[in-house]
Amino acid sequence: MNQPDDPVVLVEDVCKEYRRHDQVLPVLTNMNLELQTGDYTALMGPSGSGKSTLLNLIAGLDKPTSGHIYVCGEDLSQASHGELARWRARHVGFIFQMYNLIPVLTAYENVELPLTLTPLNRKQRKEQVKTALEIVGLADRMDHYPKQLSGGQEQRVSIARAIATDPTLIVGDEPTGDLDKKSGNEILELMNRLNEEFGKTIVMVTHDPKAAESAKRTLHLEDGRLVGDTDVAPMEPTL
Amino acid sequence: MKLLIYIWRNVTRNKLRSSLTILSVGFSLALMTILFGYLAMQKAGELEAEKYDRVVVLNKLGFAAPLPIAHVEKVRKLDSVVTAMPFAWFGGNYKNKQATFAQFAVDPEVAFDIYEELTISDDQVEAFKKNRRGTVCSKRLAEQMQWELGDRIPLQGMIYQVDLDLELVGIYEAPTNSGAIWFNWKYLDEEAQRNPTGFGPGAGSIYVKCANKDDVEEVAEEIDAMFANSDSSTRTRTEAAFARMFADMLGDVQTYIKYISFAVVFALALVAATAMAMSMRERTTEIAVLKAIGFSKQRVLALVLGESTLIAIIGGALGIAGGLGALNLLASVPIAASMFPIPVSELIGVWLLGLAGVAAAIGFVSGVVPAIMAAQLSVVDGLRRVV
Repeated sequence: MNQPDDPVVLVEDVCKEYRRHDQVLPVLTNMNLELQTGDYTALMGPSGSGKSTLLNLIAGLDKPTSGHIYVCGEDLSQASHGELARWRARHVGFIFQMYNLIPVLTAYENVELPLTLTPLNRKQRKEQVKTALEIVGLADRMDHYPKQLSGGQEQRVSIARAIATDPTLIVGDEPTGDLDKKSGNEILELMNRLNEEFGKTIVMVTHDPKAAESAKRTLHLEDGRLVGDTDVAPMEPTL
Repeated sequence: MKLLIYIWRNVTRNKLRSSLTILSVGFSLALMTILFGYLAMQKAGELEAEKYDRVVVLNKLGFAAPLPIAHVEKVRKLDSVVTAMPFAWFGGNYKNKQATFAQFAVDPEVAFDIYEELTISDDQVEAFKKNRRGTVCSKRLAEQMQWELGDRIPLQGMIYQVDLDLELVGIYEAPTNSGAIWFNWKYLDEEAQRNPTGFGPGAGSIYVKCANKDDVEEVAEEIDAMFANSDSSTRTRTEAAFARMFADMLGDVQTYIKYISFAVVFALALVAATAMAMSMRERTTEIAVLKAIGFSKQRVLALVLGESTLIAIIGGALGIAGGLGALNLLASVPIAASMFPIPVSELIGVWLLGLAGVAAAIGFVSGVVPAIMAAQLSVVDGLRRVV
């Protein structure tokens, strides 16, 4: 059980290797990391540095080759795939670079999708969806399909989907990577608000220094190792 | 939002592909419905015929060889027989065009004694007996041909070198589909006698009403024994066996039809599986997203199988409805009425549920491999560079 002062994410001696035929490709080596509740962390590093792999492990999408990952007090490295799926539904909200909304569902239905995995009834789900869409400023677009929305609006729906279940952790993979500068700033502003106003713990991978600057903490990875850990005062996104 | 809505949206996502898959399932199921419906009709016809105490006497040489008219009287004299009548195929044109209904020369004096199940007023039976040119038909045929009592029905002989000018004097209600008119055998005989280049009708086949329903087999043997050494020896069957004869003509073809149907179903499942696999391949990232947000393997399996099964069930339902419609259309052609003895609506039964089950099975089987692939998909691989 997680205690109030315990880190929300605890990475202990984690190694991750991929095997291709006879070759072993180490991606993460002896990674140790703690994230506290309410942290807003950016993972930076060159391609192949292991930042996406680390994010996958923290989000329970993959399992380490060795070591332990505790998120909300649960050891994800020991969980089965089915347990991880249930755990993700409860604890993680995902924001993808390409938004990855379901094209045949409306904004409302997309946001409702993760809620269908919860025991909430229809009325409760409706409340949650409306609240999430109001937070991202798209309550008036709930009946629109993704193709009827701009890229920035799609990403905001994606964020609404990520927060609809009120997850412990929000993870993002370059959430501004496919957006123009203005939309990107709006998304960063929204993520800041989620962190500041709603106390959400956010971990995001980014290549964009500007995006990293909006986070409270930036972790630099190289060759599967943590090479830098910077606490920064969050900057206001600029146009 | 219910999972079913999502499944339905996926079905309608690629309308062209789904429509083509639905059409391929539907077309095959329509063919199966027609084939199995026809066989069911034959079975129903046999069961209907088993209710009656009739036997049918044919020439031993075959269906097309007529029996001499003298045979009728000889049969009537048997103790085990109530009465008998000739039943001669005329095969003429109607209004100088190929007739869409069958025409038989019968004996009006006994026709409705032999066919007791036909309902007709006594006045009309009397008119049939008295009017040498009189003819009777079923209510269904009269409606199809838009005939009314008193209408003239001119027939031009194609087998016999005579033309007949018939008058509709009776319309009967029949428990089974009947697309034939009956007229007086003597009228045909008289007209044939007037034409010295032509030939007489003979009895055609002979329909016999037996004294005891339980003895129909024995009566058939007795009749065949009586004519065993005549110029025209006979082969007599109960009416049920006579009905079965048409189905038996298909012989092993029925079995082949079934095997071919199953082969078609298997091929169809592969086609549907290909379409489903293509669809899933296009949605790899989407499935990975579903799994990322917490969809279990079972739920992904249900989504994919639900989609493939729904497509096949829609196709199956359309196919079965189309097949029944086609059967109805075929049964409405009077000349084919005897091949479709019962109304199509009476065919609706368990075998149709079986066909619906076949459609669902096509969908399920076609979805299994894509569904397993989707359920087994690694989220990380599916998302590629995402998260």
